[in-house]
Amino acid sequence: MSIISTKNLNKDYPSRNFAEKKITALSNFSFDVQDSEIFGLLGPNGAGKTTLIKIILGITFPTSGEVKVFDKDISDYTYKRKVGYLPENHKFPNYLTGEQTLHYFGKLSGLPANEVKKKTNEYLSLTGMEKWRKTKIKKYSKGMLQRLGLAQALLNNPEIIFLDEPTDGVDPIGRKEIRDLLKELKLRGRTIFLNSHLLSEVELVCDRIAILNKGSLVKSGRVDDITALSNNYIFHTSDIPDDFINTLLSEYKAVIKSKNEFQFNANTVTELNDFIDYLRNRKILIHGIVREKDTLENMFISLIGSQN
Amino acid sequence: MIFLTLVLSTFREAIAKKIFIGFFAISTLIILIFLFLINVDSIEGMVDLMESSGQEGVKNLVIGFQVAMIDISYLLIITFCFISVSSFIPSMLEKGNIDLLLSKPISRSNIILAKFIGGVLLIFVSLVYLIGFVWLILSSKSGFWHVPFLYSIFWLTLSFAVIYSLIILIGLFSQSTILSIIISLFLVFIVCPVLAAREMVIFSFIENASVRFVVNFLYYILPKTSDINKISSDIITGQPVVSYMPVYSSVLFMLVMLSVSIYIFRKKDY
Repeated sequence: MSIISTKNLNKDYPSRNFAEKKITALSNFSFDVQDSEIFGLLGPNGAGKTTLIKIILGITFPTSGEVKVFDKDISDYTYKRKVGYLPENHKFPNYLTGEQTLHYFGKLSGLPANEVKKKTNEYLSLTGMEKWRKTKIKKYSKGMLQRLGLAQALLNNPEIIFLDEPTDGVDPIGRKEIRDLLKELKLRGRTIFLNSHLLSEVELVCDRIAILNKGSLVKSGRVDDITALSNNYIFHTSDIPDDFINTLLSEYKAVIKSKNEFQFNANTVTELNDFIDYLRNRKILIHGIVREKDTLENMFISLIGSQN
Repeated sequence: MIFLTLVLSTFREAIAKKIFIGFFAISTLIILIFLFLINVDSIEGMVDLMESSGQEGVKNLVIGFQVAMIDISYLLIITFCFISVSSFIPSMLEKGNIDLLLSKPISRSNIILAKFIGGVLLIFVSLVYLIGFVWLILSSKSGFWHVPFLYSIFWLTLSFAVIYSLIILIGLFSQSTILSIIISLFLVFIVCPVLAAREMVIFSFIENASVRFVVNFLYYILPKTSDINKISSDIITGQPVVSYMPVYSSVLFMLVMLSVSIYIFRKKDY
């Protein structure tokens, strides 16, 4: 089921430069986010990522196009009861304590007072902020603010959570904890919309991604498919007899790396399965098959670099 | 619930600002001074006054104090409360703050209304504290329970609300606390008093009909806080109120300012 869908979304900002008429932040952008998935939005600075999130949340208005959240038009703001949001560089009232901040935003999200207290305790503990609950947030470090922001975004038990650079300023252990939390939320059926510059992080947690550049969608799909270099598969097997190595080289154009490792190119899944059957018939034990992949970072750099 | 949370957050924000604490401190000081003055007067001044001019003399003295209190309260509101509330909208519109607020299930119209109602309620409560206590002290010490003085809480709150609606609009346009303060103080201290006394101040040396028309036009479209204070004083002193036009036109000004603010806020990208 599609939780968010956009069709031909356009957003132009008036230019501050007299020579230019307008700045296009989004151009004919169409995509959708499915239920219970972690969706990553990638793109260089100024690609339109934050604009997209702001349009979906009704913070900015589209110039044209259609946006639906939970199958409702975004002009009906009631959908925000089921939404959690952690903006980049969020700013909480600095005269509040961590606990008061969660109470305030919990009530603003429409939670009943008794539920706010219960959830505050739960999420302060989950984000490791229990100890600092009575401390004024003006004394918080960047990492602590980020953890509190995350607790705030989860407080109303949202069905979809928008996270804009959630691990910004968080130490490596904290990052790992946040990644684990996101995976747990996904298992609980939550949909997560992640905007992060840390591509390795996106690669670790996201099911699907969309890459934006200059307001347009460059690529979208499953992370595995996008990072797949080609249709090359690395086989790890039991020792291959010498005569069979020759067959693999001549008939199957395999690239032999060692006595029990070789690379095979299969253009279709059927071709891959036929080859596996063939190996099994020859009593070759298959220890593992890995599709040759590039890192998301390398793929991203080559993709965006070729466009700019 | 969400609306009430926003209204109450305005209270919290004001309390967090030291300037509003200053307002309460000075209000408390005034209350204590009144308490002290009346004690002295009841022993020396008031007894003499009652002997010389009877109960009427005490009433006049109390009314005199009450009229003076309106000016003091008005001055306090301007110096402390305007400065305090002028930052409400600019701080709400700060990047990172407004994003969070607009992602919550509340309409943009209600956000502006909540900020407005919160600010007005805050001043109302502050005036209830200041004027209410002064009234209680004056009344209990003199035995003259002059209720019309309490009406000034309403009139002063109205004066504040009218200017606050303008502060909200300026805040939305400029996102500047300083500009909101400067414009509101200029309006309250210079424009309103001069326009209210235009016949004596301006028309005595300008006879040009076009200029007079412009001045009159400005008088009718701009808020009339000086006139509202005059109405408040007249009610306390028991003088007939010549016209309630300043109240109606100021309320209209306030409604226009709020409507324009809501319109702008609903259309703007953040």
